[in-house]
Order: sequence, then C-alpha cells, then structure tokens
Amino acid sequence: MDKLMAVIRREYFERVRSRWFVIATLFGPVLFGALMFLPSILTARDQAKGPADVARIVILDASGSALGERVASALSGGVSASGKSAVVRPVTSATLASEEDAATRLVIADSVRGYLVLDSATLAGRTARYAGTNTTAMLDMSTLERAVQRSVQLMRMEAAGLDQATSAQLTAVNVSMVTERLSERGRTEGNAFSGFLFGIGVAMLLYMTIFIYGLNVMRGVLEEKQSRVAEVVVASISPTRLLIGKVVGVGSVGLTQLTIWVALGWVMYALRDKVLSRFDAGGLPFALPDIGLLGGLFILLFFVFGFLFYAGLFAAVGATVNSEQEAQQAQMPVVLLLLVSVMFLQNILMQPDGTLAVLLSMLPFSAPIVMPMRLSMTDVPMVQLIGSLTSVMAGAVAATWLAARIYRVGLLMYGKRPSVRELAKWVSRR
Amino acid sequence: MSEPAVSIRQVVKRYDGHLAVRELSLTVPKGTVYGLLGPNGAGKTTSIRMLLNIIAPDSGEIRVLGAPHDDPRIVDRVGYLPEERGLYRKMQVRRVLRFLGELKGLSGKEADRRIDSWLERLGLKSGSEDWSTAKVDELSRGMQQKVQFIGSLLHEPELVVLDEPFSGLDPINAQALKDTVVDLRKQGRTVIFSTHIMDNAERMCDSVCIIARGEVVLDGKVSEIRDRESARLVSISFTEAPTTAVEAVFRDTALVARVDDSHQVVEAELAAHASAPALLTRLISAGASIERFELIRPSLHRIFLERVGATDVEAGMSGHG
Repeated sequence: MDKLMAVIRREYFERVRSRWFVIATLFGPVLFGALMFLPSILTARDQAKGPADVARIVILDASGSALGERVASALSGGVSASGKSAVVRPVTSATLASEEDAATRLVIADSVRGYLVLDSATLAGRTARYAGTNTTAMLDMSTLERAVQRSVQLMRMEAAGLDQATSAQLTAVNVSMVTERLSERGRTEGNAFSGFLFGIGVAMLLYMTIFIYGLNVMRGVLEEKQSRVAEVVVASISPTRLLIGKVVGVGSVGLTQLTIWVALGWVMYALRDKVLSRFDAGGLPFALPDIGLLGGLFILLFFVFGFLFYAGLFAAVGATVNSEQEAQQAQMPVVLLLLVSVMFLQNILMQPDGTLAVLLSMLPFSAPIVMPMRLSMTDVPMVQLIGSLTSVMAGAVAATWLAARIYRVGLLMYGKRPSVRELAKWVSRR
Repeated sequence: MSEPAVSIRQVVKRYDGHLAVRELSLTVPKGTVYGLLGPNGAGKTTSIRMLLNIIAPDSGEIRVLGAPHDDPRIVDRVGYLPEERGLYRKMQVRRVLRFLGELKGLSGKEADRRIDSWLERLGLKSGSEDWSTAKVDELSRGMQQKVQFIGSLLHEPELVVLDEPFSGLDPINAQALKDTVVDLRKQGRTVIFSTHIMDNAERMCDSVCIIARGEVVLDGKVSEIRDRESARLVSISFTEAPTTAVEAVFRDTALVARVDDSHQVVEAELAAHASAPALLTRLISAGASIERFELIRPSLHRIFLERVGATDVEAGMSGHG
C-alpha cells in the first residue's frame, strides 16, 4: 500500500508542480469569466455609445415615396433622436445604376458602411436590397430589416387613415419571452438557451479533461518506457499496481483542476451582479440551471469512471509504442471512441431525450460525456441513470483489466509495434 | 551451511519460438561476488529478469534469499541496476532517489538521510556544489549512472544484482563502482553482476558462471576453474627463430593439440595424454634454444574463448575491457 501511495504521490506532485498545470488551471477561469461577462459588458458599452453604426449608410429610394426618410429616422432612433442619420437619395429606375456606382465608391472609400435600395417591391412588402461591408453582422442586418419593415407598416397605417402617433404606438411591440423549466424538483430558473449552454459547457469540460489527462497517462507510460526507468520500477512493484497508481495519480490531478475550475466558476457566477454593475452592465442574459447536489454527484461519478475507462485504454496504447510518433498513430482508435460523443453533440442538444441521445448515454465509451450533458438539460429517468453508470463502471473495470494485461508485457517490450494478433497473445499470456 | 542467496533449478524461458534460456541451473552462495558471463544474447538479462520476478519462467524453480522468487517479502531485500539505465528525466535527483527508496519500503525521512550520505560519498554533493536539487537531465551521463547506482543500493539490500554495470562507465566511475562492490562484499552482502568484460570478472568475482546460447558452459570458483584448466597450456619463448626440427615437434598431434604461434612467443595446448616435461624434453633434443618455458594459468578470457567458441564471440564479445 505504501508503494502504491509512493507511485500516486509521484504522479500527482510532479504534475501539480509543473508550470503547465498552474497556467492551465488559472487560464480556465479567466476564459470562463470572459465568456460570462464580456458579452454583457460589451453590449452595455455599445449602448452607451448611442445609436449603432448601422445608420451610417446611403439609402437609395426608388420607391417614389417618403419610405427612405422614414427608414432613416427609424435607424437613427426615432423622430426625436439627434444621432447620426442616413443619407437619403431619391432615385428613379433610370438613375439607379449610376447612383449605385457612386454609393459603391463611397463604401469602398469607407465614408459609409453600405447602401440600401428601396423600390416598389419594398412598398409592396416583399424585398429590399442592401450592399455593404457589414452584411455578415447579424445584429446589424436584423436592425436594418426591422427598420424597413416597421417603416412600411407605418406608411400603410397612415395611408389607411391613422395618424402618425397612433400608428407608432400600435406598432411598438417588443415581446420577450420569459421561460421557466419544470422538473421533478419544481420550478427552476433557466430557459432552453441556458440549459443548452450549460449542457455544452459540462460536455466540453468533461471531454477536455478526460482527453487531456488520458493523453497524460499515455505519455507517462511512454516516458517510463523510453527512459527505461520502467524496469527499475517494476523490479519493486508489480506492473498492475504501477498502472493503478499512475491512473489514480493523474486522475487526481484532473480532479484537482476540475475542482478549482468549478469552484472559481461558481464564485464568479455568484458574484455576477456585483461584477457587472461595476461596468454599468445589466444582468446576465442567462441563468445556470440548478442541477441539485445529486446531479452534481452523478456528474462527478461519470467523470471518475469515464476517466478510468479512457485512462486504461490510453495506458495500454502507451505500453505498445516506442515513440511520440508511433503514439500519435496508435492512439487514434481511442481518440475516435472519445470523439463519438462530441460528433453527435448537436443531435443530443436538439433532442436530449431522443433515441440517439439515450443510446449514447448507455454505452460505456460515450456515456461519461453524454449522460452528464443530458442530466444538465433534461430530467433523466433514474433507471437510465443507474443503467448508464453501471455500464461505465463495468467498462472502466474491463478497460483497466485489459490495460494491465497489455501493460505488464508491453512495458519491457521494445522494437516493432505489436499487431492485433500479438496484442491478443499478450493479453492471454500467463 | 546456510541456504544460498540464489538458487536456479532447470529454468526454461521461450520467446515466440526461440529458446532464450534452456534448463539453466546455478547456485550463488551468500556473501560472495558472482559473475554471470556470456556474449550478448546468451540469456543473461533474461535470467536476471526472471530472478527478479520481472518476467516469469516457463518452467523451473528459482529461490532467492531462502524464498520463492515471487514472494513479495523478498522484493525489498534485493537491489537492481538494469542494463538499460534510465531515470525520470524531468525530476529532481533527490525526488527520484526518494521515490526509488519508497518503492523499496523506506520512509521519506530515512531515504533523505541515506541519499545525502551517498551523494557525498560519490561526489555529487559537497560544500561547493549540490546536485540533489538539479533535474536528472541536467546531469552528465556519468553522474546519472551514479544516481542510478545509488538508487539500487539505497535500501541496503542483502542481494545486489547489477546487469552490465561497467558498460558506459569511464575509468574513474568504473573504479568507484569496483570499490563499492568490494565494500558490499565486506559488509556480507551478495553481489551478482553480469558482464562480458572478463578482466573485471576475474579480478572481482569469487565465482563465475559462463553461459552461452541459454546454457551454462562452465561454472565454479574462479580459482578452481583456472586450476582445472591450468596444466594444459604452455607458453614458450625462443632466443632464436625455431628450426624446422623444432616446428616438427609442434606438429606432433600426440604431444600438442593446438598451437598459437605469434613469432616471439608460442602458446601450445598439450594433447590429452601428453605432459609438459615431455614436450620440454622433445624441444631440447630437437635443438631449440629456449629462453622461457612456462606453464600458464589461462585467463578467464582465454577459457571463455575456448568454451564459447569463436562464432559466438564474434556475435557479441568485446574481449578485454
């Protein structure tokens, strides 16, 4: 037991002391904080700057009506606003081409961002045309679209005999939907979007941690092989115990990092309003769903056994190769197995209770990532939860057993990489 | 007599069709320095690994320090320096050594104390410099070898197994290693080392075992082996070049089995029933002007060459170290 502890201690402290670990551990929360706070802060800044840049355009009005003026005023923030406003040029179908050329030159000279063409089709409520440098900015385009749409509506209402003020009042509709998630634990804050976000977050965090630390185990095994230190070590402790010590040691490093990340993330989330109010920004546009203590515990268990499963496989790979390059190739099957869950991420997010999601959450190689993701998005029946966990645990035991068999032979084997048939022989060797 | 430090009985190890060790049997008495000699590929490392329970024999019995070799209780009483040296390159010297000590059941504190005394003894730690906090890959090769050597002795093992300990050592480090082996023997420990450098074996070992092609070719006490072989070899120097009459004597197969003529000195191996005085008489009567006529005790190197054969030697021997 003391020897096993010596191995675990070495694996743990040599890694935790490394500069890489310190940097990665601190970088995680910084990234998390940036993702959480920056959008709100930046939005607040833009709002403070006044009407958006979208108004810096030329409107070529070929509709033969006042539509151009209305769109311009809508863009600059309504009749009363005194911000920058768009330049409106009434054109006819004859002058349109040359005016477009002129406007294009202005865009290229960067004195405006683009030009908008309004014609009879726009008045009829069908199409408008925009050309500019910011066509990929979704927010800008939706602002433009809304301005045109509302202007057409207003003109129609006035034509129908309503006065300007009444029309403006009638069209001023901006519904935002507040959602509540209903589950066995009752009403919780959080909507589809935040559940989505949280699900992706959990899946990515587990995927990354299992991947990074699984590779770490593989490199550790390879290092012992390459430096030939393995022989001294297995003269003192059995290969199986060395393997267990290595996996537990490296896994504990991953767990330490995850704990620090989750703790700092939680602190930041708890302090979100204080942080945001310093930047005069509003609250977060999302709320994290409450998965409860039991949910958290299950996610932890899935991480632990999922890691054991993959660490075993990665260790076996490390024991069969002699160099980094060989390892790159040999690790592919294991990496692909891990990638399956990420490949189907979108399908699972769309339908967390769909057949594919349920199936993937039952298989030992994808369950460690898919089940926690489902768990944070929907209510998973207890039967599925227990079944999934059992499958992952069984997978972990099987992978560890297999890895130990390959490891004890491969550790002292140099030269050619074994074929699948030779591997089978290693496994069955006495 | 107490039980031997190591006893190997009819051990066989087969690797994918080829026999690495065939029916190997040998006994290492307690408190001796024992040399395992043989060309590369003779099965030395395989035998050592089986002895240390790193790999399992296909059949046969191995007992170490009075217990079966896979008894977990003996692991901490054995020290091992493998042929392929290696340490964790990115670790500090002290941490590596402490780890190796802990793997042999030492407490961290006790390990630290012994590490200091060993580092000082082998010149890795003194008033002016201290390599204990350096990373392994900052050390020169020679220093790394010393660290590894310390690692195999830190737990004061009763049995020390050194696989090719002299390979890659410069003369100074080789001397330090020899001194340490002598010290270990004085302390009553048993040392087994494998080598293909016969000079070292001859000087340091009480007993040797020569193996080739996985089998024991010869074993026993060094002095006995040499005595057993001694009377058969004669070295002769002439004051004048031998005449044809003298050369005819050497060609007499009833008298001489083999001749190694290197001009000034002729080495002759006596034929089965011939004696040295008979050869001397015949040479004088043939008119040879003899300056020196000496019965020589063959060196281990010589015995080795004879017993193992030139083909194996070419395959792996490097002759005198």
